[in-house]
Amino acid sequence: MAGKLRRREFVKWTGAGALGVATGATLPPRAQGATKKEVPKGPIKIAAVSFLTGAAAAPFGIPGDNTFKMMADIYNQKGGILGRKIELKSYDEAGGADAQVKLARKLIMEDKVDVILGYISSGDCKAVLPLSDELGALIVAYDCGSHELLEGDKTPFKYPKYTLGFRSKAHLGIDNIGLALMIKKYLPNVKKIAGINPDYAWGRESWRVFEVAMKKLFPGIEVTVTLWPALGATDYTAHITTLMNSGADIVHSSLWGGDAVTFTKQAIGMGLFQKTRMAYSRGEPYPQELGADFPEDQIICCAGTHYFLYPPHDKWPLNKWFVEEYHKRYNKYPTYPCYHAYQAFAVYKAAVEKAAALVGGWPTPEEIAAAMKGLAIETPSGYLHIDQDHNGREDVLVGFTKKVEGYPFPILDPKRMEVFPAHMVNAPAGVRTEDWIQSWKV
Amino acid sequence: MVLYILNGLYFGAFLFLTSLGLTIILGVMGILNLAHGSLFALGAFMAAWTIGLMATGPPSTALIVGIICSMALTAAVGFLLERSLIKPIIRRPLEYQLLITFGALLLMEDLIKLVWGGEARYASAPFDSMGRTSLLGLEYPWYFVFVMALTALAGMAVWFVMARTRAGIMLRAIAMDRDMAEAMGIPIKRLSSLAFMLGASMAGLAGALMVPTSPALLGIGMEPLIMAFIVVVIGGMGSLKGAVVGSLLVGQARSFGVGFLPELEMPILFLIAVLILIGRPQGMFGKG
Repeated sequence: MAGKLRRREFVKWTGAGALGVATGATLPPRAQGATKKEVPKGPIKIAAVSFLTGAAAAPFGIPGDNTFKMMADIYNQKGGILGRKIELKSYDEAGGADAQVKLARKLIMEDKVDVILGYISSGDCKAVLPLSDELGALIVAYDCGSHELLEGDKTPFKYPKYTLGFRSKAHLGIDNIGLALMIKKYLPNVKKIAGINPDYAWGRESWRVFEVAMKKLFPGIEVTVTLWPALGATDYTAHITTLMNSGADIVHSSLWGGDAVTFTKQAIGMGLFQKTRMAYSRGEPYPQELGADFPEDQIICCAGTHYFLYPPHDKWPLNKWFVEEYHKRYNKYPTYPCYHAYQAFAVYKAAVEKAAALVGGWPTPEEIAAAMKGLAIETPSGYLHIDQDHNGREDVLVGFTKKVEGYPFPILDPKRMEVFPAHMVNAPAGVRTEDWIQSWKV
Repeated sequence: MVLYILNGLYFGAFLFLTSLGLTIILGVMGILNLAHGSLFALGAFMAAWTIGLMATGPPSTALIVGIICSMALTAAVGFLLERSLIKPIIRRPLEYQLLITFGALLLMEDLIKLVWGGEARYASAPFDSMGRTSLLGLEYPWYFVFVMALTALAGMAVWFVMARTRAGIMLRAIAMDRDMAEAMGIPIKRLSSLAFMLGASMAGLAGALMVPTSPALLGIGMEPLIMAFIVVVIGGMGSLKGAVVGSLLVGQARSFGVGFLPELEMPILFLIAVLILIGRPQGMFGKG
């Protein structure tokens, strides 16, 4: 890819272009003489489900939903998918797992949507994804992180867990393994670690993977304290004091959204960063949110390689196009939920087009699912592969924050950025993440 | 140790302001106001917006203006809420109150989204500009000291109104026996509006004081609402003294809990509330 990428070229890259790089196709080629299926005349109904209210709306739900809308608009300008216009409707993820199950049932059974692209909360993903097979509808989880979502109880486990349920991104394992590998490479003398993570599945699982990886990479490392603030807390002063007294060299955190911003803001005021260094498993949006106040030299993980400056724009024009297009529409740089939303949409489009090419005409959900399994596409962040367990596989970008002229907030230091390739941070299909880490030969 | 006490006092300050409003409304009107969290959020958004508008001026001036605007707006919204939604259900059973005030909570969240959008709003300039003090050899943000001082001032002002003014005495009379107060000719309707406005403005003040350290986000009022309920359960419904003691107790229990029993940070608070409910259901200073 070189030179300026225009919309037409972009659609080619992400749609038909994806066919060229698709791997592991499991669909049989259309038999000669078989009846060609028709492509329905009506629009494709896509339900996009993200938090549009509540604490997760501003940092995740709205940027993700903005991207869904942006992509639907762009795809529609180019004729939609196989000539069918996209009718995208946004729905609020608020209300808890039960409400989401009810909403998903309604969307599938009453509204007859073609696909649901959605969910930020791991709890919602865990509740809704089983409906894919139960109701025979395609569901693509786009942002939830729990590694338990598509893993079994013990290694080895059978996969895929659901025939029609997917996640178009890697799980939280990449963030926390990436952080541990980064620390091993740049700060090999770390002796003590601590953690502050939100007190629910996301926080507990993030810490567990990080702790297992750190103990594997640094035998004898000491965990001084682990803190579990409630989700949505507005005061972290007691936590910060405890962390300052803990003597930890590194403090791991999977706090997100307003929690991460509030914690960091109060930590700056109380002088935490003079005593220790933070390692944020999902820190990518927060330098932009906090601006110049965000401290330098902190370790930030990008939930994949989702960063507005990576891959470099001169080497990967798709990222340049994506950043500029998003910025033009919303006056902000895209953050990782935007990249995740793009991935879900592009994966669906590529799978439909791939399946259609093989079966002729508009494919069934089963045929789209078969095409999605093993699919590899180019995204603004690099390559994304949907593995045999229906979970995305991605590289992960980790770096240290640094103030650089030209940006009103610290960016990742170009000299201390690392991309850990997918095979180093993702467990193979059928192996639980913690078991895989334990099997490393260090 | 000193820092844990200070942290407990700082957190307790927010608890006090939020629970004070809740307890005034509960005590005087007998209304369990679930929309109180949204009033907190409204105060936060208003202050963030005002401070943002005055970004070019001195941060301390912006903060003061933000606080005043937040209190005024939440008092006005409180008045409208009371007149439009609360008044018709004042004599109805508890479930009506819960349904109506929960509906108001959702409505206000949507209104906030309509007015200010779904994006996070930041207003940290006052916090940043105040810097840190070396208190007893410990680095501590001046802003936290300011919050504690202003809270103490607000508490004293409310105490003065309730204990020393004619309106306050009548409010206490309503809280003690609504029917008798009405029979005595006390203007219940007007004073109920006043109580609601006072309670709402305290939530607005708490929200305004929070935004310099925490962004205004949709749903931000939920945590303060839950914590305020714990304080009211512990301190006792309708009791100013109960709000003070309950806030101090919960603030310190959480601070030391985080420091020494981090796995039990939240359970400790609920455990205290459960013990109070078992031993003294009306709360430490509530009416029997």
